[in-house]
Amino acid sequence: MKSRRIYNRISVLREERDVSRKELAERIGVNFQTVGYLEREEYNPSLDLAFRISEYFNLPVELIFSTEPLRPMSEELLNHKNIERG
Amino acid sequence: MKVAISKPNRRIAVVANYGCVLLFLASFYIGKYYGWSVEVIAGAIVTAATAVITFIILHIRTRLWKLVHTKAEKLDERQIQVTHESLRYSYAIFTVVSLLVLMCIALSAGRHNSNLILVFASLLYLAHTLPSSVMAWTEKEV
Repeated sequence: MKSRRIYNRISVLREERDVSRKELAERIGVNFQTVGYLEREEYNPSLDLAFRISEYFNLPVELIFSTEPLRPMSEELLNHKNIERG
Repeated sequence: MKVAISKPNRRIAVVANYGCVLLFLASFYIGKYYGWSVEVIAGAIVTAATAVITFIILHIRTRLWKLVHTKAEKLDERQIQVTHESLRYSYAIFTVVSLLVLMCIALSAGRHNSNLILVFASLLYLAHTLPSSVMAWTEKEV
């Protein structure tokens, strides 16, 4: 079975929090090259690794990973605000 | 120090490495059966040296040798996936090459030694049934 492409926001979150690939790799228990593969969406993480990443960033897993292309965070925030205003 | 080599260059190094090993073997057998002339000795030395150099560049400096020889517990999930995939291909290629070599030996000595044909047939059977036998042995449900 060919797996689907899983989109993610790892690189945006990592840069936002000023964390190096090596540092993130050490915290989530993978090789630093694997972080590169994840960021380029060339490797789909296991459920365990996806949860470890979401725990590290302290965000829900569905905010970091998606089966559809992710919109920029600013756009998501604006959309969320518009929904709140009604 | 780990050296990054592009995929096309790595493929060239793989072909060059195996090509040099084959040429070295050819030089060795030419020397053994037709005599060790200066050209044959030079050919053997050059191919052996090139094989060693390409081996170091391809396997040691890229650390690929270390990666495929590291215990699974020390690798992350992507590395395990990559090494398992490479071992899967390697098993298939090694089996085909070994059986072809054995088949050539069995056919050439077939009339004189029928045991070799039986060995070839047994190994062919083992190569095809071993993966599912291991799975039958280890898996809880299939």
